[in-house]
Amino acid sequence: MITFGILSQLAALFFTLLSMGLLLAGLGRNNVRLVESGKRGLLSALAATTLASIALAYLFLTDNFQVEYVASYSDRALPIFYKATAFWAGQKGSLLFWAWVLSLFIGLVIFSNRKEPDDRNTPYVYLVMAGTLSFFLFLLCVISNPFDTLNFMPRDGQGLNPMLQNPGMIFHPPTLFLGYIGFTVPFAYAIAAMITGSSDASWIRKTRVWNVLSWVFLSIGIILGGQWAYVELGWGGYWAWDPVENASFIPWLVSTAFIHTAIIQERRGVMKVWNMVLVQLTFILCIFGTYLVRSGILQSVHDFGATGLGGYFLLFLIVITVGGVYLLAESYSEFKTPGSVESYLSRESTFLFNNVILLALAFATLLGTVFPILSEVVTGNKITVGQPFFNQVNTPLFLLLILLTGICPLIGWRKATVSNLRRNFLFPGIVALLSGIVMVAFGIRQTYALLAFVLAAFVGGTIIQEYVTAILSRKKLTGESSPGAAVKILWKMRRRYGGHIVHFGLAMMVVGIAASSAYKLEKQATLKQGETMTIGDFTLEYEGFRQYEKYNRTIYAARLGVFRDGKRIDEMEAERRYYVNAKQPTTEVAIRSTLAQDLYVTMPGIGQGNEITLKVAINPLLIWIWFGSGLMVVGGVLAIIPSRRRES
Amino acid sequence: MKKSNRKVMIAVLVLVTSVGFLIYRGFAETSVYYMTVGELKTSVLGQKIGPTQAVRVGGLVIDGSTSYNQRDLELRFSLKDENNPHETIDAVYMGAKPDAFEPDIEALLEGTYDRARNLFQAETLMVKCPSKYESETKQDDKQEVGK
Repeated sequence: MITFGILSQLAALFFTLLSMGLLLAGLGRNNVRLVESGKRGLLSALAATTLASIALAYLFLTDNFQVEYVASYSDRALPIFYKATAFWAGQKGSLLFWAWVLSLFIGLVIFSNRKEPDDRNTPYVYLVMAGTLSFFLFLLCVISNPFDTLNFMPRDGQGLNPMLQNPGMIFHPPTLFLGYIGFTVPFAYAIAAMITGSSDASWIRKTRVWNVLSWVFLSIGIILGGQWAYVELGWGGYWAWDPVENASFIPWLVSTAFIHTAIIQERRGVMKVWNMVLVQLTFILCIFGTYLVRSGILQSVHDFGATGLGGYFLLFLIVITVGGVYLLAESYSEFKTPGSVESYLSRESTFLFNNVILLALAFATLLGTVFPILSEVVTGNKITVGQPFFNQVNTPLFLLLILLTGICPLIGWRKATVSNLRRNFLFPGIVALLSGIVMVAFGIRQTYALLAFVLAAFVGGTIIQEYVTAILSRKKLTGESSPGAAVKILWKMRRRYGGHIVHFGLAMMVVGIAASSAYKLEKQATLKQGETMTIGDFTLEYEGFRQYEKYNRTIYAARLGVFRDGKRIDEMEAERRYYVNAKQPTTEVAIRSTLAQDLYVTMPGIGQGNEITLKVAINPLLIWIWFGSGLMVVGGVLAIIPSRRRES
Repeated sequence: MKKSNRKVMIAVLVLVTSVGFLIYRGFAETSVYYMTVGELKTSVLGQKIGPTQAVRVGGLVIDGSTSYNQRDLELRFSLKDENNPHETIDAVYMGAKPDAFEPDIEALLEGTYDRARNLFQAETLMVKCPSKYESETKQDDKQEVGK
């Protein structure tokens, strides 16, 4: 199986390089049959990477610890689910996963284009994607081969790190990768359009689904990472502006900007050059993020360490950046549009501001992330910034962005009239004002938190206003019932309402983030059995202690009764786990989530006589973050469900 | 240039300028030096770091130096320079011991350094997370082969 895996990888590389040759030859001689062969070669590469992936999965499932990668990330006691997913737990396997997904995406692009004859762009699209694939396959075959073997057969593997044995962690890397890899498709289409000088918006229309879908995956990946940190790491937060987190967040910001301006190009035929810049920047930043994580050049709490891949990623990064800039300069004259914003009070201009802010956020985050490197180059000393920097700089920018999210749908395309504006702003304005008054009455005094609540209410107000208006007019037109009209509108105008749902989810997230960061309560106590502690409205009583074995771990658990207003409303169990194969115990967080707040308990210490030390936090409205992000995903997916009408 | 365009451009310029100012202020107010244990103790710049000035320091947790008071959540340990192991500092961190904290692990502390007592008062403590294990496991394997 090991040899089979190695051979499959080599075959994949061979087919990819062959296809590139065929595509180039086909383009040079204008030969359709060569291009067709090139496509078939890429499909063969897909088959080969699939076989290699099956081989690696098989080696994991059969505990073949002679394979160094398997020995490093699995052991006999590991539950089978984690054995299968240990596939992408480390550097080498995740590279194979990357190559497999990319070849799958290439296959999907070929498949989705099967009905139309190749135009002059598509061979270039395949060529760019194949080039990217060959880079990853080269790394796999030559530099970082997951099928490398040890020169002895260990009795057992070293096991998967306990912290990675969590469902969130299992799906966090692959979704993030799906997002990163997905942006290869719009990137390839953009490069192809620049090479052939096709300055219309067809590349944007064709890649819209890829674009939004990649954005959705990137969002899910980021959120799952945050959620994993929250439920697993036990420091009580979900985001720490760590370089690795930023590495995924920066391309997310730029791709968000691109999704918005892509709409403008589609509708109004302007911002062509800008969109080229954004789509390239997104892809470059995805690769750059991978580079940051795998090169070890930054001090992060969770990078892959210096893996020896940094140089190759840097080289690839330079190639795509220089190539992109060169092509853009070459084709600039064809893409330049004389178009202008017709009024500063127009939807276009709010999109423009939205872009400025998103890019400012991306720039500030990038600068803060790489500042230690920059400062060392310039001054010889490493200067670093941490969470305070990002919070201080990014919070006001985010609030501005939320404001624009609210304003944008209220302003028409081209030019809005003042009377129009007054009518549109009335209801959301009142909602925002009322929510502000209520907040102040409830004692909310922190400026940023108050602003966040008011702006989120404003966004919610604009969306509800538009939705209700649409329902009412549809009812009048068709005589449908209110719920019927409500559903029909969501479905019939799903592109628009998908966007609205994303924004509504964003507003919910903002509320959750603001509340949980500004009004968090924290307390620490040491309790003997029968003793209690109080935090906020809650009292916790240490009721009992037990110790038991489960799968590959020994668990020490303290049962805590949760009391409010003298009534026992619930119980929680805080745990410390000792995994086979791990030197240190791990803390298992106990969380009691309600709409109003999360009660978050960790047990960092167990002393003599089972005396326990607890860290308890109340995170107000935290669950709104997860709900909101769920809505963003739902909205994104809704927006790209294809409509049958358009196809026919 | 059209009038509306000019207005938009002015707004964008104002926005960009304020962002620049925001970033500048952010750096001015929150940036700290990052140095290794050795640099903090011996370099010219390191010696200029005052007892109240925040600084970030990185090093390896010395085997056998750790003491953890589970009751009060007080973690004491010593840190050595990765390249100059004889340069060490003592550190104290008030908080829960992170799960990944163990001897020889790379730790990043942010806080203040009391030169007279060679004691680092850590406000934050970060240790390398589990996704970094490639290089470590490789070394382990080599040792096993050597045995």
